[in-house]
Amino acid sequence: MGSVLQNARGGGSDLPEELRKELTDFDKRSRGLSHYEVLGIAPDADGGSVRRAYLERSRRYHPDAWYGKNLGEYGPLLSKAFQRLSTSYQVLGDEDLRAQYDKQAAAKLNATDRAAVEKRKLSREEEERRHREGRERLLRSKGFARIAAARQLYQDAVSMAENGERARAIATLQAARELDPRRPEIAEKLAQLELEAQKARARFALQNGREHEERGEMPAAIAAFAQAFQIDPKSYDGALGAARCAFAAGEVQKASTFAAKAAEVAPQGESEARLLLGKAFIELGFKNKARHELTLVLSQHPDHKEARALLKRV
Amino acid sequence: MEPVIGIDLGTTNSVVATVQAGTPVVIPNRSGYRLTPSVVAIAKNGKRLVGALARRQSVTNAERTVVSIKRLMGRKWSSRTTQEALTRLSYEVVPHDKERDDFLVKLGPESFSAPEISAMILAELRLDAEAYLGQPVSKAVITVPAYFNDMQRTATKDAGRIAGLEVVRIINEPTSASLAYGFNRQVGEKQICVFDLGGGTFDFTILHMYKGVFEVEATGGDTVLGGDDFDARIVDWLAEPFKAKQGIDLRKDKMSLQRLRDAAEKAKCELSSVKQVEVNLPFIAQSPTAGPLHLQAVLTRSDLESVTKDLVDRCLQVCEQVMGEAKVKPNAFGEVLLVGGQTRMPRIQEAVKSLFGRDPSKSVNPDEAVALGAAIQGAMLLHQEQEMLLLDVTPHSLGIAIAGGFFQSIIPKNTTVPTSAHHVFTTVKDDQTSAKITVLQGESEIAAQNELLGEFMMTGLRKAKRGEVDIDVIFDISADGIVSVSAIDVQTGLRQSITVTASSGLTEEEIAVAAKANEEWMLGQKEPPEWPARKEKAEQLFKQFEELWPRLENAAANGLGMEPLQRAKAAISVAKLQVANKESEGLAASVDRLERMLGALKGALERGLTSPRGGGQ
Repeated sequence: MGSVLQNARGGGSDLPEELRKELTDFDKRSRGLSHYEVLGIAPDADGGSVRRAYLERSRRYHPDAWYGKNLGEYGPLLSKAFQRLSTSYQVLGDEDLRAQYDKQAAAKLNATDRAAVEKRKLSREEEERRHREGRERLLRSKGFARIAAARQLYQDAVSMAENGERARAIATLQAARELDPRRPEIAEKLAQLELEAQKARARFALQNGREHEERGEMPAAIAAFAQAFQIDPKSYDGALGAARCAFAAGEVQKASTFAAKAAEVAPQGESEARLLLGKAFIELGFKNKARHELTLVLSQHPDHKEARALLKRV
Repeated sequence: MEPVIGIDLGTTNSVVATVQAGTPVVIPNRSGYRLTPSVVAIAKNGKRLVGALARRQSVTNAERTVVSIKRLMGRKWSSRTTQEALTRLSYEVVPHDKERDDFLVKLGPESFSAPEISAMILAELRLDAEAYLGQPVSKAVITVPAYFNDMQRTATKDAGRIAGLEVVRIINEPTSASLAYGFNRQVGEKQICVFDLGGGTFDFTILHMYKGVFEVEATGGDTVLGGDDFDARIVDWLAEPFKAKQGIDLRKDKMSLQRLRDAAEKAKCELSSVKQVEVNLPFIAQSPTAGPLHLQAVLTRSDLESVTKDLVDRCLQVCEQVMGEAKVKPNAFGEVLLVGGQTRMPRIQEAVKSLFGRDPSKSVNPDEAVALGAAIQGAMLLHQEQEMLLLDVTPHSLGIAIAGGFFQSIIPKNTTVPTSAHHVFTTVKDDQTSAKITVLQGESEIAAQNELLGEFMMTGLRKAKRGEVDIDVIFDISADGIVSVSAIDVQTGLRQSITVTASSGLTEEEIAVAAKANEEWMLGQKEPPEWPARKEKAEQLFKQFEELWPRLENAAANGLGMEPLQRAKAAISVAKLQVANKESEGLAASVDRLERMLGALKGALERGLTSPRGGGQ
């Protein structure tokens, strides 16, 4: 591990070390990454999330963000990374191109991703139809009829949700809310479903992360885990996964950040995050901090061998 | 921290701005105005005039006054745009190098390229900025219409270099305006559009703002549609009936054309606030029989609207085309920004409102937003003060000419820059040692209908059977939208040399020569470094004398005598004249003298009204 960091440091560039490492990794792996992985989003992400992910990442990879800095050998890599990012965005940012890409890439996708793509396609068609119908009804109904229509839509949505058709249910509820904005149960049900959808997306991202981790595709795994954590800020598995993969990929700084976040949301008695944080601090040379974390681990699990050994070392 | 300025180099007016203590501000020129007319003239006495001074003498010196040079930037002599523009110019433009297909503007005994003329405006703005900031300025961000092609951008960049400026970035005017709008505004996520109708060009741009990142989604426009065209319509409206009645075409005479044009612009501006104006041009022509002729007409707002209807329609067509390309509906925008002086026309505001279904934003100044945005971009890049990032696009497709005279696009329009693309060329003959690549920019399938950026010659190819040498040609578009080409031999990995064989741009040597000439001119314009301090000292002395004056008069009546006072008075008026004429050396001597006099007179007052020591009675 230490030698890897040494090499990165010897680069003669003003870029932060973490970014340099990231760029080298990204350059090595970018050919194998799907557009979704490049942007760090789930295959069922909506158009807005695609754009936000792209703009967010541009802040880091656009050469202007580092204008005037000595990029050294990392200049071309940075430029390449940004172009890869914008290519992915160009495809996923356009519904037609995205549909085409999904079709082409279906063979290369794993079963989960393929299912997600398929699901999204169907749910989009479904949603569009629902919306259209909702609008048509809205145009036709007036006064009390609107309230009645809203109630009907609400009941439809509840049964859809029970059948597991969450996307359709949400779209229907949105139409219902437009018809009758003051009905509390519509808003409540909508909020509940949206939360569930969010959790589902987080689960999806977690699963995605685990799969990438198994295949040793660390940057993609980190991105997926980080996304799970971003969608659900209480996701211990997301933060820990990101920390674990970042550590394995040699991105110690990033690992420590995620491990610290994981430790914050860790369930009672769970000390994996602290152990990882301790290891990261050792790598980063913060001996005192490392000692503190390892002591905490040992206070929970007095016979934790690895923690004891590490503590002895520092 | 080294200052960086933002320059809106407009067709009719230019503006310079900077970011001071985190706030973007417009820099007034040395006459105190925020807009500097983009007019350059060589006066009869050979002196170079820029801005309001040049504009003021344009009627009497029409042949040596250059207006709207922006329309000719980066153009070829034989292009339709140049030839059309020639018919409306009051100054002389002559073809220059046949190979490069370029031209020169003749101003008296001298001739200048278009970038050199633009450089004169830039140099003036640079002097204004230096006077305002009190320190040298060498870095600038300059704006261009989004629809400018590579040659127009390069020409603008060259102009900056001639003016002694390091052009940090060329950015698009509408994008720049959106930066001014987005600066310090807490907008989470918003889609906006910018309708930019300036003096000579029209641009329509769709942007998306999210957490300080500005993403240009699509842009389009017309580089020969602007306020000038509106003026020209009024000129025709005035000149046609006159011609019919008197048999004299006023547009043929350079002086009367300039007067007509000034009157047309004035009338147009007034019609933005009133319903009708009277145009009065006495002694506009001389009739061989009836003596002097006068032109008198009443122009109403609806007259103006009817003669310019097709121009407004052309703008709206561009908007619809760009929205179509970006797959955006007209009612999707969270804000519609109007930029450029011509958008003050009520008819345009109405048309915009009805197209987008909302009132245009009033939060940016249409004349100043572009320069402010450029200053912000400069600060973003060089000082990293703002957490903002701009993602701009290339407005034209870039490609090459292929067999049969067709155009093959390599980088499509609206691609985010910086970007690059490859194209592999294969030799077609045995032992082929060179190959020519013709690089074009445009949207037509026919190569000849697109703008030729240059012809590149790859030489020294390795000798081999045909088809065995693959050359990977890399096309780069920088964040400025400027194109560069490089090539690598795929099999050997060797970099191929590429030489430009056709380009309308200036050569490095020409730029260096022009830059040196400009540098010398600027030295002549510049105040010596000690001038501000000297001037301030003199003004302090004037004030001290003024405060002391009642006591001195009193003392004069009580025995001091009037003579020392009169001498002081004379010295002060000499010094004041030197301040007005910027006579630095002379003022230094005056300051010394005034200081001595003041000391002596003060001493005299203290000692009780006796004759002042050292006053030299």
